[in-house]
Amino acid sequence: MKKKWVAIRRGSQVFFFALFAGILWSTAYPLRGIIPPAAVFSIDPLLVFFTALSERVVLPGMAAAVCMVLSAVVLGRFFCGWVCPLGSCFDLWAAALRIRRDRLPPRLLNGLRRLKFAGLAVSALLAAAGVQSAWVADPLVIFGRFISLTVIPALTAALDAVLVGLMRYAGWGPLLLDLYRQWQRSFLGVHTVFFSNAAVIFAATAILCATVLAARRFWCRIVCPLGALYAAAAFSARLRRVVAGCTSCGRCARECRMGAIEPDMRYNKGECVLCMDCVYACAAQSTRFMFFGAPPRPVKKKPGKGISRRQFLLGCAALLAAGCRGRQNGRQTPAQRPEFLRPPGVQDERVFLNRCVRCGNCMSVCPTRGLQPLFFEAGLAGLWTPVLVPERGYCEFNCVQCGRVCPTGAIPRLDVADKQSRRIGTAVVNRQTCLAWHDKKECIVCEEHCPVPDKAIKVVWEIVNGVRVAQPVVDAARCIGCGICQTKCPVRPQRAIRVARR
Amino acid sequence: MTQGFGDTPPHRMSRRQFMKWCASGLAFVSLQKNFWAQPADAYGRADSAPARPRKKIRGAYDLVVAKGNDPYRQTVEAVAAMGGIGRFVAKNSVVVIKPNIGWDRTPEQACNTNPQVVAALIDICRQAGAKRVNIFDRTCNDSRRCYTNSGIERIAQKHGAQIFFPNDWNVLTARFPYESGMQGWPIYREALECDTFINVPVAKHHGLTKLTLSMKNLMGVCGGNRGMMHVDIGPKLVDLTDFIGPDLTVIDAYRVLVRHGPQGGSLEDVEEPKTIIVGTDPVLADSYAAQLFGSRPEEIPYLKASRERKFGSVDITAAALHEITV
Repeated sequence: MKKKWVAIRRGSQVFFFALFAGILWSTAYPLRGIIPPAAVFSIDPLLVFFTALSERVVLPGMAAAVCMVLSAVVLGRFFCGWVCPLGSCFDLWAAALRIRRDRLPPRLLNGLRRLKFAGLAVSALLAAAGVQSAWVADPLVIFGRFISLTVIPALTAALDAVLVGLMRYAGWGPLLLDLYRQWQRSFLGVHTVFFSNAAVIFAATAILCATVLAARRFWCRIVCPLGALYAAAAFSARLRRVVAGCTSCGRCARECRMGAIEPDMRYNKGECVLCMDCVYACAAQSTRFMFFGAPPRPVKKKPGKGISRRQFLLGCAALLAAGCRGRQNGRQTPAQRPEFLRPPGVQDERVFLNRCVRCGNCMSVCPTRGLQPLFFEAGLAGLWTPVLVPERGYCEFNCVQCGRVCPTGAIPRLDVADKQSRRIGTAVVNRQTCLAWHDKKECIVCEEHCPVPDKAIKVVWEIVNGVRVAQPVVDAARCIGCGICQTKCPVRPQRAIRVARR
Repeated sequence: MTQGFGDTPPHRMSRRQFMKWCASGLAFVSLQKNFWAQPADAYGRADSAPARPRKKIRGAYDLVVAKGNDPYRQTVEAVAAMGGIGRFVAKNSVVVIKPNIGWDRTPEQACNTNPQVVAALIDICRQAGAKRVNIFDRTCNDSRRCYTNSGIERIAQKHGAQIFFPNDWNVLTARFPYESGMQGWPIYREALECDTFINVPVAKHHGLTKLTLSMKNLMGVCGGNRGMMHVDIGPKLVDLTDFIGPDLTVIDAYRVLVRHGPQGGSLEDVEEPKTIIVGTDPVLADSYAAQLFGSRPEEIPYLKASRERKFGSVDITAAALHEITV
């Protein structure tokens, strides 16, 4: 094979893309996948360490995350080049659009690449101060949200529409119906409902992918905080790029998607993602990557034009102070409107916002599609966090799946009996629109569906024109706010019973 | 791909030619006789449909009541005492068994039909030579959870029945020859396109109708905004029962929920009359089951409406009743 290592690297990218997407696809009832859905995110050191640091807890994925960092110490930033599915997206787009050179000048790009370290430092200091901001730009959660909340629903909806169309209008019913019903139990699912704000999530990812027009891997070089973390670990990487008789033709530097090769043909280990392009671009065919026998990298210490030590320390202090202040504020005002219902078991809004990495797992696994991503409705801090929207779906009484798939324990892992006693909110009957209270009609659908064994919705009987009418009354002490009453209430456009936090 | 824009190879079709071909092709296809008319038996077109043709099959008795400790055998023996399943199920026919799978509860919680009763019915239908046994219900909780945790999915698959989730696009709208609140209501196609319809409810408490019995169980074949059926539920259920016309009604009163129905959840609310009721008149079967709970027909909206409409019979004293113990 001509470019053996490039082919192997591409194979690895395809494999991990498919693996991650497959795990995300398996994040659905009845959670029978071999790999737990949280695994995608709990191997991510940025998410795991910063969440753990900001909340002062030990998280289950930490050992794996430590291994990931150690592997970067040995191999360098291979994760970015060989594993990261978002990085693969960029490579795919660049290949599809036949982009072989960066549009922006290399000097500008090399100057900007410090930004990602600054971002990582800010995130680390905020975490030390107790505010988790790793979710903002972590590539795995961006990818996870994109796949779980836009791609999978769109693909299933399209597939469903095609199959149903064939059955309804092309006469394939007798042929397909049984197969279709079998598929509904597996990959097709029974819900093909779109998530709210899915268009925004899709557009955001599309914009990210469009940055390949400025430079291939623009994001990885300049923004990605996970890339920065791996870059920091890769500075002392064991695996090194070695060039024997270099002719200084400069082809490798032009070819390099990360701009890791300096004009003087040395290379920056923290930027190299081991894509292996330079091995085959080398005119002298003398570029190799090797573990041992490589001459030590010449130490080059340029007098920095960056900030002074004093400025650096001051900056750190200011960030810490800001972080602490933010945490204080959060503690005083979990400034939430009462209609934002959090998933079952969430107790403290501040802790929840801090722990949630916005990966979308809980929303993708929710069997009723009741959990939906917030946009800016609850401010920046609430971006992409899940809320229960009973108008769309309720919290299934015997279901604890959201806690099972949460990578950071933002939604606690509860057993069924415990979860059934946790309060999400409390239902309130609107007597102005309720069929039983206002129109004196038979209904009581809310009481019928109430899953609390001794019924949190009680019936009072009123005799109207000689007919007994059953009217619902909420027993606030028993109501857990699962919202099934609101989902099933037949009154439209707004249901006559609504759940809110108290 | 270094080719410029100007030099199209001569063998390629020009754009104008291509568009002409497309347009004439489309015109040709759209002028075909059947293009705009949908095929007659297209699935899922919301055609309106009249009521299921009634076969008026009578059993050996009006009601057979089987008591015992084994719901499977009770069901088998009770149907046998009715004159055998052969009266109701013809060879190579399509049978619908409609249990209650409405809730995400286990069989012990008595919210769904006992899977053993369903298993017995599948077995005797298949022995009678049924080509296909369809089982479905529109559930209240998540359908996958209900099908699994009720135990009915596993039983159906094991005993060779087809169990599936009803699809909202695969419905027929009800057409009544008389004034009805159910006029135009979407009914799942399978419920109407079958040779034999066996209704297998579980008897249990219900907040609005006091008891959920066979007539209430038929709500599971309806699509649409089902909550609205609760308005004037009595007459609507009579119309629905008239429309579906179940050939055989098997009421599972082996375990029953006596309080906090239809969702239940607590084993304290479950009692065990250990009774299976088989009848051909759903009203009569329901009246008998109501009496097990100590309720009179006039307390139950749909039985009251049945009596006012003279639909079926609520008078169990006049019925030919046969009791067996298994």
